[in-house]
Amino acid sequence: MQLDLPGIVPSLRNAQNQDGGWGYRGGASWTEPTACVLLALAAAGERGENYQRGLAWLEKGQLADGGWAPNRSVDRSTWVTAMVVLVLADQTGTAELPGAYGWLLKQSGRESGYLQRFRDWLLGVNQELDVSYRGWPWYPGTASWVTPTALSILALEKGGRPDSRRRERIESGREFLLSRMCSDGGWNHGATRAWGYSSDSYPETTGQALLALAGFQERRLEKSLRCAEGHLKTCRSAEGRSWLEMALLAHGRSPSSFPKDGLTLYSTMDRALIVVAEAAMRGKNVFQG
Amino acid sequence: MPAISRRRLLLGSAGAWALTACSRRAAAELPRVSITLAPSYTQDLYGSLRRILSEHKLEVRGRRVVLKPNLVEYDPAAPINTNPLLVHAALEAFSALGAAEVRIAEGPGHRRGTLELAEAAGYFRTIPGFERMFTDLNLDDTSLVRLRRPASRLESLYLPHTVLGADLVVSIPKMKTHHWVAATLGMKNLFGVVPGGIYGWPKNVLHWAGIDGCIADLHRVFPRVFTIVDGIVGMEGNGPIQGRPKAAGVIVAGRDMVAVDATCCRIMGIDPEMVGYLKLEETQGQTRAEGVRQIGEALGRVRTDFELLPAFSGFRLRRA
Repeated sequence: MQLDLPGIVPSLRNAQNQDGGWGYRGGASWTEPTACVLLALAAAGERGENYQRGLAWLEKGQLADGGWAPNRSVDRSTWVTAMVVLVLADQTGTAELPGAYGWLLKQSGRESGYLQRFRDWLLGVNQELDVSYRGWPWYPGTASWVTPTALSILALEKGGRPDSRRRERIESGREFLLSRMCSDGGWNHGATRAWGYSSDSYPETTGQALLALAGFQERRLEKSLRCAEGHLKTCRSAEGRSWLEMALLAHGRSPSSFPKDGLTLYSTMDRALIVVAEAAMRGKNVFQG
Repeated sequence: MPAISRRRLLLGSAGAWALTACSRRAAAELPRVSITLAPSYTQDLYGSLRRILSEHKLEVRGRRVVLKPNLVEYDPAAPINTNPLLVHAALEAFSALGAAEVRIAEGPGHRRGTLELAEAAGYFRTIPGFERMFTDLNLDDTSLVRLRRPASRLESLYLPHTVLGADLVVSIPKMKTHHWVAATLGMKNLFGVVPGGIYGWPKNVLHWAGIDGCIADLHRVFPRVFTIVDGIVGMEGNGPIQGRPKAAGVIVAGRDMVAVDATCCRIMGIDPEMVGYLKLEETQGQTRAEGVRQIGEALGRVRTDFELLPAFSGFRLRRA
């Protein structure tokens, strides 16, 4: 599907499933695309029936531990909880939000736990990456990675002034992101070095990390912003371009001069993120509240 | 993402069992592995693939076949992904054999934009109608599969319906060295069936549970996968992403994944008896040359030592 900006919001509305959620490319409803479409609809100023049905689907999906699973056939809370919090933080008096914050605050990468670090020390494991900062994993019990950490930081920051626990995790998460910066200044999924080899960054993860680092005073970010601008000139992915645009805007840069031609929208996420990024260009970034 | 019923899953399992019934009857026979010379990615591949499937007597008429290539990242200078021409040749060959449906499916482990990756890797321009016949396994509908006798620390895995419901899964990996497990071939390629939509990018649960053990577990869930290895141009050194191109000029294929992967190791100059996941899964001595019935080119003629990272220097296969 070629880019058709005015048609994107109606196409998102039409893609809604009977149960109120959205799939990644049609199909059954998943938590992440549902949350992302709700952010897009909110960014487009649409909070009508489609939005309310989607919100109801999302709210019903909260598990007993306070988190959300990727879809209804999975019984374990994962990183998608951060996406849900980004939606719920826009609502007033949401009963699900305290439990969701609680779940997010309990999660951290396994590599940063005291027990794991002691075990690695005993075994003489050579850590090429700094494991002292607490990021977030995709799936409980695994290591921290860039995307879930960036989204969790954004989720904890949205919805009012963070308390001290949230603030402490946000700061540690940001340090984690800085520790995973690639040598070109950007970010990939989080494997910056292995066996002494450096890895290159990706557009989408560079955008996500930079957005989560907005407002953070750090000299190295100047190189990251140049890297993001470089990615934006060559990136052919709607997802990548959307994150980069939002990130550059959040750091006071103006990405409006970069053309959008030739983008292909393959998924619900692509379409939703394009709408969110367009709204950010007009001054309303729903990832930041 | 096609919906799948319990009946479809059972039928798929029964079909997969029936497809390999012949090899069960001949359990005492050595597993056959073919080595076919293929010096470059040309139209000759279409004929080669038909001959390979004929040699292995695959009966797929009326069956649902899923081709699983290896897509990881795109770098125009590096042979990271299975070449799309080989995948298209396999698609044409299975269609010509009368398969009811041939789908291409993959779930890359690092990048979330699977279709963008496939587009960059040349799949759209090489395979007509690619988008229509492709399933992103990272985002497919899933069922929880209990692992009966796990070799890793996992007890269960969510796995995609497209693969669980197939009558025949065909693993089409790139022949590459791998910085954690020495070599990535047909069995390691099964990591791509684990859904990123649930476990993330990368699928880090597999690393924490033990990579060799998880490769073995996936092989136990999908024991009868047919394998076609793209060894035309592989990767040596710091694979599977940052290594250098290495032309081996072969396609290696067979029904027994352990035997195929062990044969590829020998071609690459890697001792298969040192590779953890092969040792976990060998049942009849496939990691030894005499445990495989080699057909096609003689292994000694095509052996091309792949450069190994220093950590794997002890894995070098001695020359006879």
